[in-house]
Amino acid sequence: MNLSLVDPFVLAQDCPEVITGRLREQHIANAPRAGSGHSTSIRFSHRGDLLASGRHDGIVVVFDIETNGVARKLRGHTRQIQSLSWSTNDRFLLSAGQDWKCVLWDLKDGSRVRTVRFESAIFIAELHPKDHMIFAAALFEDQPVLVDMSAEVPVKHTLPTAPRRSQTEREKATEKQAAQDAKQTTTVTVFTPSANHILAGTNKGWLNIIDTRTHEVLYSYRVTNSLIVLIRMTQSGRDVVLNSSDRIIRTFLLPDLSNPNLDFDMLELKVQHKFQDLVQRLSWNHVTFSSAGDYVAATTYMNHHVYIWERGQGSLVKILEGTKEELSVLEWHPFRPFVAAIGVDSGRVWLWSILQPQRWSALAPDFVEVEENVEYIEKEDEFDIQPLEELHKRRLDQEDEEVDVLTIDPVKTNAQHEPGEFRMPVLLDIEASDSEDEIVAVGAGQFRRRSPGAGKEYMNDDEVGVSGDEVRRTNGSTTGGTKRRRA
Amino acid sequence: MAHDRDRATSPKRRREDDDDDNHTGSPPRKRSASHTPPNGSPGFRLAERPRRYSRDHGEDDREYYRDRMSPRSRSRSHTPSRSRSRSGSRTSSQRRSASPQMTPPPPKPTQLHYKQSLILRGHKKGVTSVKFSPDGRWIASSSADCTIKIWDARTGALEHTLEGHLAGISTISWSPDSKVLASGSDDKSIRLWDISTGMAHPTPLIGHHNYVYAIAFSPKGNMLVSGSFDEAVYLWDVRAARVMRSLPAHSDPVGGVDFVRDGTLITSCSHDGLIRVWDTSTGQCLRTLIHEDNAPVTSVIFSPNGKYVLAWTLDSSIRLWNYIEGKGKCVKTYQGHTNNKYSLAGAFGTYGAEPPYEYAFVVSGSEEGGIVLWDVSTKNVLQRLEGGHSEAVLSVDTHPTEKLIASGSLDRTVRVWKETVPPPEAVLEAVAGASTSANGYDPETLPSNTFTES
Repeated sequence: MNLSLVDPFVLAQDCPEVITGRLREQHIANAPRAGSGHSTSIRFSHRGDLLASGRHDGIVVVFDIETNGVARKLRGHTRQIQSLSWSTNDRFLLSAGQDWKCVLWDLKDGSRVRTVRFESAIFIAELHPKDHMIFAAALFEDQPVLVDMSAEVPVKHTLPTAPRRSQTEREKATEKQAAQDAKQTTTVTVFTPSANHILAGTNKGWLNIIDTRTHEVLYSYRVTNSLIVLIRMTQSGRDVVLNSSDRIIRTFLLPDLSNPNLDFDMLELKVQHKFQDLVQRLSWNHVTFSSAGDYVAATTYMNHHVYIWERGQGSLVKILEGTKEELSVLEWHPFRPFVAAIGVDSGRVWLWSILQPQRWSALAPDFVEVEENVEYIEKEDEFDIQPLEELHKRRLDQEDEEVDVLTIDPVKTNAQHEPGEFRMPVLLDIEASDSEDEIVAVGAGQFRRRSPGAGKEYMNDDEVGVSGDEVRRTNGSTTGGTKRRRA
Repeated sequence: MAHDRDRATSPKRRREDDDDDNHTGSPPRKRSASHTPPNGSPGFRLAERPRRYSRDHGEDDREYYRDRMSPRSRSRSHTPSRSRSRSGSRTSSQRRSASPQMTPPPPKPTQLHYKQSLILRGHKKGVTSVKFSPDGRWIASSSADCTIKIWDARTGALEHTLEGHLAGISTISWSPDSKVLASGSDDKSIRLWDISTGMAHPTPLIGHHNYVYAIAFSPKGNMLVSGSFDEAVYLWDVRAARVMRSLPAHSDPVGGVDFVRDGTLITSCSHDGLIRVWDTSTGQCLRTLIHEDNAPVTSVIFSPNGKYVLAWTLDSSIRLWNYIEGKGKCVKTYQGHTNNKYSLAGAFGTYGAEPPYEYAFVVSGSEEGGIVLWDVSTKNVLQRLEGGHSEAVLSVDTHPTEKLIASGSLDRTVRVWKETVPPPEAVLEAVAGASTSANGYDPETLPSNTFTES
């Protein structure tokens, strides 16, 4: 509703300009920071009002972007969070941790819906866009899997990694090549928005398009010779950005994959843009598309900057700065010129956006912003004294227009929550449960170190049966503990 | 700025300056004043009210009821082809003569027939604010006796009495899920109450330097905006109970605040005569509305669709502003009630048929003890609810789905009014005589209720 009142010049800006702050996790101003709250992975919800942040200690914190504060804490992982993925309705959140677990959270009550264990570390786990009980995961030195969690015991379907070869290629293939194909592993998997296909990148630089139903590789394309780090797509599913360890970011245009007439054998992908820094030979930590896909942003390795390229011309348009540390994971808000990135050293989530100057003309109805001096010309009747009564009457008589205070205009932004849609409940005692820090305030200005082991009971739980609420309750009664790791 | 403050007294002193009834100089008495003030002017008669609004629609009345009586007009259902989208530019004549080949749309009622259905007694001092919960189940009422009472909206049974504030309570607001009630008090704090248990949340929102005058929850329930006698508007993070943002709002006590339906805008009003519209996300002032008379603005709400703001001023007027177009423009002025002293608060309601023929009314209390309902577009008085409250009606709210009105008054009662269908004879009489009937308070219609008997 505010769009009609905001300065159109501000609205026209679609690229963040300046650092505007960071997410606040701690509100006790005096309490010394004790190493917790180190973020390792972030992801915006689809509606853009929440940001999930996975932390070094395995806790997933959901931030409210509007209040810049913690909305919910999810405890269940014992190691650093590797990746996060939201369900389309923003009710479920999938987190993958370095404890080789994936957890599906229900944000309605913070409970764990499913916990899925793996035999190896997880690179990335992405939720199916249409069914939150299915996800795809890329595993370390293992075949990628498509996991169906709808049953109590999750079913894991192995997905292929070996690139698809044409008939002639297969005949010509030597033993060595076959062995090489078998040795390849997938490093990243992403669902297309239609969910019919999975894009997978391998450690040998192949991009595979896998059919979600048949689990077959439909199409393969060798992008580069080095490992593919990350693949991201736009909402439309037609644009792909791909970060590989050869220090080049590539963008592709995909055909409409769900088109039944599409012949994958005839398909030929072409690199649209290659973004790289030829002078400094920078390598890129993380890439992301802007909301509409007009820009590509990337954080740099051993450098404090966020690079933003514009895709029309393929030119570098902006370098965001303001932090004194290297940045790792970078996320662009789903529809605003707003970027969040994690600082590698502090683990803080930094935010960049645009600054809106106060328009002085808004402060009083008779204020006008002018470019230069204007000589005021008095109106003929400006200072005429008119009988108050008459003035009043005339004014009332002029109010003859029909007003409609009920009809709601359809809105354009996707930020709107439809009635009946899921909304995360507001927890009032979030601060009281915010007590996993090692040092707790016990009184005015007094702090003590907390007893070891307390408050980390969830680390001893063996998965599924424990809901987040029970964990929360035990946390409320006892006070947290030191970082005890399971051996 | 156009308004000059000639009196630079402290808010405290100005507040105690109770004898001065001249509204332009002094702010109104607080809603939760701890003494029961004398009734404004009891000699109020219907005949004394200006006739300009009721004179010109006598013919419409007759036309409406004749139409209503004819059997043909009974079974009307709007066909899809007729359900066009409503736009503000459509005039009433267009609405009446929609499409000649089809049955004409149901005529716009010119009268409403709300009748008192419940009296909720229990507050020991004046009732300052009444609010229906968003799910329609509860009525919350706050009072100068430092308590909030939660009533069942259907039966009138008292569910909870919320005690904990140290001073009178001026304002309450429901969270959108109807589970939490927030209250702003003269003890400078805002408290959150759990409705299922009736307990206060342990951490109140503390930060205001003076009486909290008005609060409103954001549509998501994650933020709260508050206006205070200390002239500040604060935006709170409800979860963390901290001030997110302080809006450099006004130069006089803030009387009312509200969130627009999607939460992106906040409006606030003050006794300095300004109504401001703010961007929630940046905290910047986007619009300032001011009426030439510069009367103190005591209460402000957004319209249900968020395109207008409705503001109560101490010159016995309620003004509807279009804040979007140009620099903002007053489009309607509703008069016919008395309001020179207290911060009255009211609401929008709907009447008529299904959506294409649904109309909106504005309802507000009056310092004479009446409640007035105006049609939004024509500014005609649709009904006056009189004979119920004996003192100033400070707060009125409408039920989110049903045709119910709740009102709270300085006479310590909360009353619930229900729309009734009048018998046809009575209608004709009402049309023949002036529009004074159908408002009478009828004790026989009241259900016996142990909770509500004093």
